Amino acid sequence: MTGVWWQQVMGAESVATRDGMPSVRVPAERWLELANAAANAGYARFLDLTVVDEPSDPARFQVLLTLYSFAARGWLRLRTRTPGPLASVTSLFAAANWYEREAFDLFGVHFDGHPDLTRILLPDDYPSHPLRADHPLGDEPIDFTVTREVDSQW
Amino acid sequence: MAMTHGGNQAGSHGGVKDGAAGWLLSRVQDWSRENSLWPATFGLACCAIEMMATAAGRFDLARFGSELFRASPRQADLMIVSGRVALKMAPVVREIYDQMPEPKWVIAMGDCAACGGIFNNYAIVQGVDRIVPVDMYIPGCPPRPEALIDGILKLQERIGKGHRR
Amino acid sequence: MVEAPDTSQPEARRELLRINLGPQHPSTHGVLRLELELDGETIVSCRPIIGYLHTGIEKSMAARSWLHAIAMTDRLDYLNPLGNNLAFALAVEKLFDCVIPERAVIARLLLAELTRINSHLVWVGTNALDLGALSVFLYTFRERELLLDLFEEMSGARMMTSFIRPGGLAADLPDGWMQRCKQVLDALPKYVDEYEALLTRNPLFRERTIGVGKLSAGDAIAAGVSGPLLRASGIAHDLRKAHPYCGYEQFEFRVPTATAGDCYARYEVRMAELRESIDLCQQALARMPGGPVRTPDRKVMPPLREEFQQSMEALIHHFKHYTEGLRPPAGEAYVPVESPRGELGFYVVSDGTGRPVRIHERAPSFANLQALPAMAKGMLIADLIAIISTVDPVLGEVDR
Repeated sequence: MTGVWWQQVMGAESVATRDGMPSVRVPAERWLELANAAANAGYARFLDLTVVDEPSDPARFQVLLTLYSFAARGWLRLRTRTPGPLASVTSLFAAANWYEREAFDLFGVHFDGHPDLTRILLPDDYPSHPLRADHPLGDEPIDFTVTREVDSQW
Repeated sequence: MAMTHGGNQAGSHGGVKDGAAGWLLSRVQDWSRENSLWPATFGLACCAIEMMATAAGRFDLARFGSELFRASPRQADLMIVSGRVALKMAPVVREIYDQMPEPKWVIAMGDCAACGGIFNNYAIVQGVDRIVPVDMYIPGCPPRPEALIDGILKLQERIGKGHRR
Repeated sequence: MVEAPDTSQPEARRELLRINLGPQHPSTHGVLRLELELDGETIVSCRPIIGYLHTGIEKSMAARSWLHAIAMTDRLDYLNPLGNNLAFALAVEKLFDCVIPERAVIARLLLAELTRINSHLVWVGTNALDLGALSVFLYTFRERELLLDLFEEMSGARMMTSFIRPGGLAADLPDGWMQRCKQVLDALPKYVDEYEALLTRNPLFRERTIGVGKLSAGDAIAAGVSGPLLRASGIAHDLRKAHPYCGYEQFEFRVPTATAGDCYARYEVRMAELRESIDLCQQALARMPGGPVRTPDRKVMPPLREEFQQSMEALIHHFKHYTEGLRPPAGEAYVPVESPRGELGFYVVSDGTGRPVRIHERAPSFANLQALPAMAKGMLIADLIAIISTVDPVLGEVDR
């Protein structure tokens, strides 16, 4: 499963990363197709699906899928960029269910074809998607000058 | 090391208030409450592990009266909030507190329960005292078992003097 | 095991009892909520609902600096704090591409394995506690205190030590620490024998765990499961052997597996791992070289205080390190390690400015919990408690 194979057979670009893990850039519309190809090529074990948000890019969400192959004894990372919606890989990897829900909950990425795309970590009525880069941290200013009235009997 | 907040509110003494016999009975009541504080199991995160260590052999919380951690809040009188309170968990904390019968006390164990700890962000309630009235704050991340025992002993002292919710 | 009724018929559905387990429950290993549909005592379906400990750690880590992120990694899987430190340190070091001295490598391995022993001791104790054997809990926590004493002596903190940092260790091991560590490790095997004597051939324990919560190998892989859960279903995959990191390739150890895939198999695997970890720690102690415990690369680790007197640059590096934090070069890295729960890794993205772009934790318990409904179907509620316990979730890393 070399970079050349990905390029010539699948038409997807291989990128280099610091940790040496094979990483393939996939256009968003071919996400499910290439994930299927990876699964058929032996990378059938799902490990992780996460999102990196870069709001400066119009396709702001970079979705990364990490798979593992026992036969090839190695990982594969598929990555794509999408402004919002993306095909769900739950039909290929049942384990992606909660991971896609988490990506939806924290980033607002919508996965088409997911059986139950609801919030998983935050309350169901939470108004926003906090892990987006332009979302504030939500921290409260700490004011050491405030003295609370303490009604103490000591 | 442990800090206190909150006042001494008049609560029900079971109707026995006046006279030497009344005084003696309420002293006995306070003494028995102080020495048999049964915590509800309310471990949330890392502090829960230190709470378990406090209940285990070396530190042995049972020798101070907390013989049993009650799973049902209806049988407990102390809620030790040990760990960070997330947004989803906040109504649950309040519900468990409401289910406990009077008199009841709350210990905020650890930095997260006391003030939000290192997690000053959208997800964590900045101090469980925003949800339930707290009687004892025990700082630490996590507090040592000795710190938890110190806090419980100080709370017991207050209970012995008649402090109740 | 009772046959689940045919719930495709609406009348049968109406007979089912919908009940909630948790989030406040003595046996859910944290704030886990399960929505159960029961036919009598038999579970027809089980839906885990998580998020009751969602801390926004990933956002907090990225909002501050790489240095602040180290302290937060302890609190993810809070039963494996040094393991989390190690995973994070390895990922950041991949970005820096720096050399870690041999003593730091072996010491990290030792600390990671001591933490594994710690975590498995807690597991044995709480598993037995969930099944009603309170004494084992007291015994395992007694041994755990010995290890926590070692951590406290070394770093000042019992649990959240933040001792393994990118670049090496926070400080060198104290004098005499290795002798005391050896004393603890020499004493441990007979304590482990004690737990085995109480549990392994105990008919009550066996009755409650053998045949309960079977997870087939196929289901395990489909659920993205890793760690002892995977190995108990017959798949001998351990990152320490398959993709060695941090010096594991130099050591001799076995990877225990079982084939039954039930709760008892998971118990057997973890007990065997406990013994292997003790042996690994003994090997590491015997092989500990001398030398520094910090990388010489001053961009990664600040210099020791002794150097301030000779070198102005040392003082400046120290100042910049603690005010601005680390500044890894741009890039991304994911270095998975074998935590007591499975494949744990930090996916870190840096843009070179010193403010993290994204730090994401691949938490093993998040995937392991997804396998719970498959294991619980058709079981009794009492079995469910045993199953949750052997999945060994830590909600801190599930919810992050």
